[in-house]
Amino acid sequence: MSTKAGKAGASAAERITPAYRPIQSEKTAPCQTGCANCGDIRGWIGTVAQRGKTRMSREEAYTSAWRIIADVNPFPATLGRICPHPCEDHCNRAELDEPLAINAMERFLGDFAIREGLPLPRNRNRECRDWVGVVGAGPSGLSFAYQMARRGYRVTVYDARDQAGGMLRYGVPDYRLPPGVLDAEIQKILDLGVDLKLNTKVGADVSLEELKKRHSSLYLGIGAQEGRGLSIPGASGPSMWTGTDYLAHMNCGERVDTGQRVIVIGGGNTAVDAARCARRNGARVTILYRRSRHEMPAIAHEIEDALEEGIELILLAAPVRVERQADGRMTAVHAQRMRLDEPGPSGRRRPVPISGSEFSLPADSMIAAVSQVPVLEGLEGLDHDGDWLVADSAGSIGEDILVGGDALGLGIAGEAIVQGRRAAEQLHAKSRGLDLSNSRDPDLPDLSVERILFATKPNSEAVQPPQLPGDERIALGMTEVVQTISETEFLAEVERCFSCGSCSGCEQCFMYCTPGCFTRVEEARPGMYFTLNLDQCHECGKCIEVCPCGYLEVQ
Amino acid sequence: MGLSTQASVADSFSRIIEDEEKDFALRDGSRIAVVGSGPAGSFFSYFLLKMANAIDLEVEVDIFEPRSFKYCGPAGCNHCGGIVSESLVQILAAEGIVLPRRVVQRGVESYVVHMDVGNVAIESPVHEQRIAALYRGNGPRDGGDAPMESFDGYLQGMATQQGAEIVRQLITGMECRNGLPELKFADGETKTYDLVAVATGVNSNFIQLLDDLPGDFEPPKTTRGYICEFHSTEEEILKILGRSVHVFLLDIPRFEFAAIIPKGQFATVVMVGEDLDQELVHTFLNDPVVRRTFPTDTVPCVCSCSPLINLGARKRPYGNRVVMIGDSGVTRLYKDGIGAAFRTGKAAATTAVFHGVAAEDFEKHFWPTCKSIANDNAIGKVMFATNAVMKNSRITRRAMLRMAQREQDKPSAKPHMSSLLWNMFTGSAPYWEMFRGTLHPGFISKLLYNLAAGLWPKTKNAKVKERVA
Repeated sequence: MSTKAGKAGASAAERITPAYRPIQSEKTAPCQTGCANCGDIRGWIGTVAQRGKTRMSREEAYTSAWRIIADVNPFPATLGRICPHPCEDHCNRAELDEPLAINAMERFLGDFAIREGLPLPRNRNRECRDWVGVVGAGPSGLSFAYQMARRGYRVTVYDARDQAGGMLRYGVPDYRLPPGVLDAEIQKILDLGVDLKLNTKVGADVSLEELKKRHSSLYLGIGAQEGRGLSIPGASGPSMWTGTDYLAHMNCGERVDTGQRVIVIGGGNTAVDAARCARRNGARVTILYRRSRHEMPAIAHEIEDALEEGIELILLAAPVRVERQADGRMTAVHAQRMRLDEPGPSGRRRPVPISGSEFSLPADSMIAAVSQVPVLEGLEGLDHDGDWLVADSAGSIGEDILVGGDALGLGIAGEAIVQGRRAAEQLHAKSRGLDLSNSRDPDLPDLSVERILFATKPNSEAVQPPQLPGDERIALGMTEVVQTISETEFLAEVERCFSCGSCSGCEQCFMYCTPGCFTRVEEARPGMYFTLNLDQCHECGKCIEVCPCGYLEVQ
Repeated sequence: MGLSTQASVADSFSRIIEDEEKDFALRDGSRIAVVGSGPAGSFFSYFLLKMANAIDLEVEVDIFEPRSFKYCGPAGCNHCGGIVSESLVQILAAEGIVLPRRVVQRGVESYVVHMDVGNVAIESPVHEQRIAALYRGNGPRDGGDAPMESFDGYLQGMATQQGAEIVRQLITGMECRNGLPELKFADGETKTYDLVAVATGVNSNFIQLLDDLPGDFEPPKTTRGYICEFHSTEEEILKILGRSVHVFLLDIPRFEFAAIIPKGQFATVVMVGEDLDQELVHTFLNDPVVRRTFPTDTVPCVCSCSPLINLGARKRPYGNRVVMIGDSGVTRLYKDGIGAAFRTGKAAATTAVFHGVAAEDFEKHFWPTCKSIANDNAIGKVMFATNAVMKNSRITRRAMLRMAQREQDKPSAKPHMSSLLWNMFTGSAPYWEMFRGTLHPGFISKLLYNLAAGLWPKTKNAKVKERVA
């Protein structure tokens, strides 16, 4: 006996009972909304989580997942160690228990690719005679170089330093990002045929004009490597460091004598990194930050780790002068208590000094990690607003010159990588006469968190990457302190994903639709497991409401 | 339904059935899978663990249920009108299962039978026995603030208290692995068990996997019902429907019968008929008799579905290490599906714990329970067919109504027709008992008298008109 509830009968206007006819509608995953760069996060997690349905072995699934990341980001092992992972802040799973450990999973896949020697993907473009130049071998420049090289362009990267990596190498301490990991991921880019010219400083070793003549196009990924100092009395003189300078010296393996008592000024990652390096050098370290903990831009767990390693954190305090002996030797830093006023233009609450609240801290040296700016030497002819280069919305800063990364304003490494990629896509489309509207970021509808059926998965805690206790970490010096999660942990973590807004092949719609509107597809893949035919639909909407990921919705 | 694994499942099941060499007793450490956590699955798990515990047998029970009864609407629903006879509530209480008030929303005090010739309110024939309205899931769509708790969710909790584990995974296949049933999950993983109890009902395509099995595994026949939920305030529903379930016996083509059940802020409309479609639903809800009782233009419909209804017994609802309980196997015709789930679930659990999990164990100790239900259903079919014939004739409709009205007006009179209608609608008594009642000389003589009185010009409309007014 058949039922034709969805067919003839009362017209829509006359209907007494509601009609819930489903459509398949992929949505933007919230992790994606939050992520600067890691591509289709839901897609690469789903590739591993759903490997049983797509008949992939574990290794095949890992390889495929890594390729999804590497398509947009050639540094998963690197970012898996240092990214502040804003994607996790948007993860819907936080509504149930804890967000997915996306960053830790990305690191696992990045390490897998290094271990297995997986090459970065190449596009099927024919060889191209265009020779593009890249200034700066940091995350932005290398991302651009990778995206152009894979498309068949000849690429040369110039960098003033003696090693590639930019701030990834000189601004991130080795205990967070071992040089071997960065080297391995850079080597994958060089393996695509990218030519690397080190110790080549624009403006000194080669002029911008020469580069313009040499290359059909130029990309500037010069970063912002000059730390800003403090303009307070006594700040000029010995034992004063900027955060970037201090970290660069440390990362080059140089012995830096900061004395026993170090004061670090700032609340960002550079400040925390500098403080933890100084602590590893045996100093007693105090961080002074003028706002509250809530406003600290540094990664939350890095702050926790710093405290666990014995670093003192004084909040709502700013230095007002540095006390020195007659011979210039630093003896103390005088600071002042602050209170938070209404939010300023940045959206953060503005710190205001509290008069009469001055206090002093004994100090042998001070590291100011308050901000950093690009070095524009040799590039003065380009548009800039004060310290920063200014590009148009397409990233162009003149004819055949593109720019991205920190030179336009400070951001996280993921943002620099995405700017390099977008510039490459832009340039490639322009040189080949392609339509950029076919860009890789599809405009999908947003997903309401109410559509996720949290109760369909058991509660579970997110995986915590293994880490030694604070005192043992200090004893290990610059050895990496956080370990990669195990394969077992990785596989458990991917299972926690709700695949928000994309079909995960849970089969509930198929199983509970007794009229048989859903048909399994032959070649299943994440996001596509069933076709839908509504000829026999009863319009009950059960398929829509049992869909745990919000993929099905009412027409 | 194109399920790719059907053929292989059929083959493996045959092997399971033929596997006579194995030891079929449950032992310490035995693992039991229950596919589906409706009443049958939960009752089975509850009784199995309770009995196992009583004889110091340590077994593991995994209940596979991907859905959560926390959700309103279809996501947490189990397609049911939601009427439980108080007799079942009392039977459960005798087993130590006391259903709390927030689960069983008591308060339905009578049935009102509506026909085009009038209506009659039938009070509970035994005043201590009322009927209970409940929601299998967490209520219909938009029912988030309604003070209710899922009946199925409560039973599931009972099973987990005994030690059952709820596994939120969908089972998509079953095969045989080294003589043991192996379940396949949606993610491609598999797991073997010593016993699998299938309790998926008939509204899941999982049953299709079993329906392709050879020989005696012929599936139960099904038809489609129609259930829709109307939402208003509790006061409005009470004002419109009172504390009565309203049953409609109308002469509409393809229409069998329908009931409107008040449940707090909601009213559940349940329809049974032939080839139910929107047109028939529309015709029914716009019928003048229905509109007088339940004007749908003031109470919006928020939820509807066309669930499959089990019409008969699976011929052989068991095999070696496999047993089908509740609607998946055998249930009562149209009524008291929860009662049948209780009986078959408990019988299967008793068999597994005390006798074994071989096909012959189930045949000897589980099948008799199923068979008694199946035999009773055969009588039920005759009863419903007779009812359909009587409902379609104005003369017999009037006779039924007159007879029931007179019985209700005279509490001292023996309530032959009232009891019959009450039991037909509530499922409180077996069909054979109802049938026996219709053979009572008092029933036959009174029915004949009312048939004649209905035909006599002076008396034909008197009582009926009074009621309609």
